[in-house]
Amino acid sequence: MLPLIVAVGVFLVWPIAEAVRLSFVRYNPLRPDEQPFVGFDNYLFVLDDPLFWESFTQALVWTGWSTVLQALIGVGLALLLHQPLKGMNVFRGLLLFPYIVPTVVIALNWRWLFNAEIGIVNHLLMSAGIIDERIAWLSTPNMAMASAIMLNVWKYTPFVVIVVLARLQTIPTELYDAAKVDGAGALRRFRDITLPQLAEVLAVVIVFRTIWTFNKFEEIYLLTRGGPGTSTYNLALYAFDQSIANLRMGVGAASGVIMLLLLLAGSVVYIRISGFGREDKSA
Amino acid sequence: MRPWAAAILYAVLGAITFVVCFPLLWAISTSLKPKEEIFRWPPTLWPENVTFEAYRELLFGSSVASAPGAGVAPSAYFLTWFGNSIIVSVGSTLISITIATLAAYSLTRFRFWGQRSVPYIAILGYMVPSVIFVFPMFLTMVSLDLTDTLFSLILGYVCITLPFCLWLMWAFFRGVPIEIEEAALVDGASRLQVFRQIVLPVALPGIIAASIFSLIVSWNDYLFGRVFMNSMENLPLTVGVMHFFDGTHVDWALMMASSVLMTLPMAILFGFMQRHLVAGFGAGAVKG
Repeated sequence: MLPLIVAVGVFLVWPIAEAVRLSFVRYNPLRPDEQPFVGFDNYLFVLDDPLFWESFTQALVWTGWSTVLQALIGVGLALLLHQPLKGMNVFRGLLLFPYIVPTVVIALNWRWLFNAEIGIVNHLLMSAGIIDERIAWLSTPNMAMASAIMLNVWKYTPFVVIVVLARLQTIPTELYDAAKVDGAGALRRFRDITLPQLAEVLAVVIVFRTIWTFNKFEEIYLLTRGGPGTSTYNLALYAFDQSIANLRMGVGAASGVIMLLLLLAGSVVYIRISGFGREDKSA
Repeated sequence: MRPWAAAILYAVLGAITFVVCFPLLWAISTSLKPKEEIFRWPPTLWPENVTFEAYRELLFGSSVASAPGAGVAPSAYFLTWFGNSIIVSVGSTLISITIATLAAYSLTRFRFWGQRSVPYIAILGYMVPSVIFVFPMFLTMVSLDLTDTLFSLILGYVCITLPFCLWLMWAFFRGVPIEIEEAALVDGASRLQVFRQIVLPVALPGIIAASIFSLIVSWNDYLFGRVFMNSMENLPLTVGVMHFFDGTHVDWALMMASSVLMTLPMAILFGFMQRHLVAGFGAGAVKG
């Protein structure tokens, strides 16, 4: 038992405790012996920094679009994949595949697909007559954000599909049979049976995806480095930038703790929705 | 289902699958093109002259003699990075799974203080993004003099994967009835015997799911490798290949070949283990 508690302590609690401690000191990695306690100075610095607020707003855009698109496409795909059809397992496998592809690989592929001069995306859009001029995907702010959102949707929609598909398979078929007998059409059955049955799991998935997307680092960093300029920064990139480029470990940690608080708020929503841990109290 | 409905469904699914797989198909196509064909406009969908030059350069060292004084080309490190990634992902998975299995077993079979809260701390820990604790961990590695070692990366990955593995194994053990174990104990088997001969075989699907998850996460990580490691020969694959962007011109064939090779182990793992993976998602992501 003791080794267990030590291990959980070392690997779970301690790094976060250390992050909280760091957020209250001034720490320059080039002078590790000087760690003066500065109270809430780091937090004040962060809250006073326009870049922090810029990152925060951009994080909302990034999270909002990503989550909505993932939920819509994810439910649509799950419904398609739920149809009884021969060879469905092959489609399921291929459509879930993006989830396990390393982010670095996706970022490399995206940079190549969306390359302004010789990228295939521009070529396809131009030959289809949708655009006349090449789009500089990764070097104009809005387009860079759009590319990053597309990357995120491509990689994480499978997560929504897996969860929704698992839930779809537990909806009793009797419900549909009964509705059919009563003369309900396909659309009606979807609205009155499928959607209500999916509501709970969808809420959980959306909260999960919101929390995770909000704090994503690698997807954006590897694709755009936060650029052009700082137009695709989110809070994770902000924290990284403060710690690494500006050598302000304390400030980085403080923004990390702010992210943590936002995440805790999200978790409370999650607990409310799912009744997480409720069965334990009755047991 | 009526035949025409099935046909439409196949067509729609086929189209979607093609779009989803396109980035990877395009990567394969690009990786097989000779350099001059890559920069052609309009681009060719499939290389007119298939060449394995990029793969040869990655797997058998640089084929182009580097300019004097230019140093070693990053591509020469490819196999070393590949090996590093295997060592750290397998190493951290072994540690994570061992701790998670033993801990989850104790959590469901013994009574002690904190028994109820540990799994919930774990799932909360799982939600914490690694960018928050990578720097505190890095500073600790500095003070332990472990930076730039594969061991520090292993510890970092244990930190990311343990919470989820613990949660998964805990959910799993909770569903295993305790009666068989009690019967064996009454019959005079020791705790260790019970664990090895009864518990482990039953827990195997959970262990497999947790291992796959852990392997994928540590193989795919970029952040820890980027912060912890310095020397070219110690980098994991994900951090290493980003150095291909360092030069003045970007060799897209090389880049796409390395992304194909980097995805390959995960694709093989995924192909074999897809069912277990989905089971793991079920236990972790949707409760009950």
